Amino acid sequence: MKRRRFLQSLGAYTALAFASVIPYGLSRLLAPKVYAEPHRHILLPGALPDIEAFNRACIGCGLCGEVCPPRCVVFAQRDGGDGLNTPYIDPARKACILCNKCMQVCPTDALSITPIRDVDMGIAQIDRAACYPWVDEGICGACVAICPLGEEAISFEFANIYKPAVRDGCVGCGQCVEVCPEPSLPIRIVTRSEGTIARHGVATRRRSY
Amino acid sequence: MQNNIVKSYLPRHLNKLRWLVLASIFAMLVLLPFLHLYQTYVAAHAYDLLFPHEKMIYDSMEWLTSPFVSDAEHELDAIKGTTWSGNLFGLQVSDPLAVLSQISASISVYWPFLLTALIPLVVTLVLGRVFCGWICPATFIYELNDTLAGWLRRAGVPLGDREFDKRTKYLVLAAGLLLSMLLGSIMTAAIYPPAIIGRELYYAIAQGGFGVGAVFFILTILFDLLVARRGFCRYVCPGGALYSLLGRYRLLRIQRVVSACNDCKKCNVTCEFGLDPLHDGFGQECNNCTACIAVCPTDALEFKLALKDGPYQGPGHLGHDYRREQQIKSES
Repeated sequence: MKRRRFLQSLGAYTALAFASVIPYGLSRLLAPKVYAEPHRHILLPGALPDIEAFNRACIGCGLCGEVCPPRCVVFAQRDGGDGLNTPYIDPARKACILCNKCMQVCPTDALSITPIRDVDMGIAQIDRAACYPWVDEGICGACVAICPLGEEAISFEFANIYKPAVRDGCVGCGQCVEVCPEPSLPIRIVTRSEGTIARHGVATRRRSY
Repeated sequence: MQNNIVKSYLPRHLNKLRWLVLASIFAMLVLLPFLHLYQTYVAAHAYDLLFPHEKMIYDSMEWLTSPFVSDAEHELDAIKGTTWSGNLFGLQVSDPLAVLSQISASISVYWPFLLTALIPLVVTLVLGRVFCGWICPATFIYELNDTLAGWLRRAGVPLGDREFDKRTKYLVLAAGLLLSMLLGSIMTAAIYPPAIIGRELYYAIAQGGFGVGAVFFILTILFDLLVARRGFCRYVCPGGALYSLLGRYRLLRIQRVVSACNDCKKCNVTCEFGLDPLHDGFGQECNNCTACIAVCPTDALEFKLALKDGPYQGPGHLGHDYRREQQIKSES
């Protein structure tokens, strides 16, 4: 008799424990993880470098979005998964202007105050097989003209012939991506290790996740 | 002889003040995204390029704020955020649940963030679960929803009124903290209604549409309407659980004055949290919302300062039960 009662109470507690997880499961079902293309999902300036550490630190309060003057900060919603309600930037849609407001307002350690030149959102990478001046000596230079960091981040390859080349000073704000007039977007933000020139080959197109 | 002099009993009007506070906080959460849009339009210096509906937002927000600020782009940064975490004139205030979840998710303590929860923490320790009754923007909608449920019941629509174990929400809180730790993301933020409301209003107004939180919130409203009265707050909400635990030994409590009580039971009916003021059963769930004080016809409920609820004081002295007891006593 005693054992039966013990088993009954054990069953009841297990059921209760499962019931307490239901709301979390529901919210997770509503927002399954969908892997975005990495160059359209850039972390904010001053963010913790590791995406998992960032998801652990960010409470999803949306303050960074509420202070962003160009409204470039958007939030992972239906496709969020672990990163539900965490902020990111899609530079092809709207790019960061490096105003530092988001890192000042963030209550947690997800974003920490960083000088502009120490920001590491990635680095711009140019696909020379698609960039108009590189392909057929066209006249453009939009990316060089818009860059908030100037010469040390992006400049012309040689003299004044409009072929842009990314330098080491680039912090990956993505202004060049937003302004690029070429529809195929030959310039994109990638992680620093992938380099500033797109390589076409079998191995290099593999994504990092 | 009837006493025609109406005594002014101020706590009775606290419920109206509470509604004013709830409504103004909700209105603030709606207004802030519009102010943010206005700021971005000002920062872009491009009034002529705005769409007509954006011009309408610009003009109305300019009309609203121009008496108070001269430099809208920067000065409007003074009030930002939601009840989950916000900025009030340089003072950062966060929900204790946000801090607790973040600590368990990142398995480390970030002190500047911990300190932002200090003010709500002290307020909860002294006043109890007041956030739930007086501030929470979800409470505003849930109480309207409860009023709607009352109308529907009166019209004859069968709605559920189930009772569950109140302790479920503590389990939900524990499960949320554990899952945050295991999965590496802050799980409580996704199911905590005030966080959802603040965030979703911002998404809807400034980001172009509701996110998934809106779906979850509608599910909680349906749960309240069809399954249990104020069911989410009473049985599921992890924030309510945390505030209840913190407010267990609160200083400010509502107490029944047994000499003025007439056992009319209005307090028990009006209490949306299903507490039992008639039998002195308040407990840690009471959020000092003062709805029972407002509804009491004999002003038999009042605030007191104590660390514990008193014991059951017996039937109210103006009621039948008490009179019968006295009769039996005098006969014997």
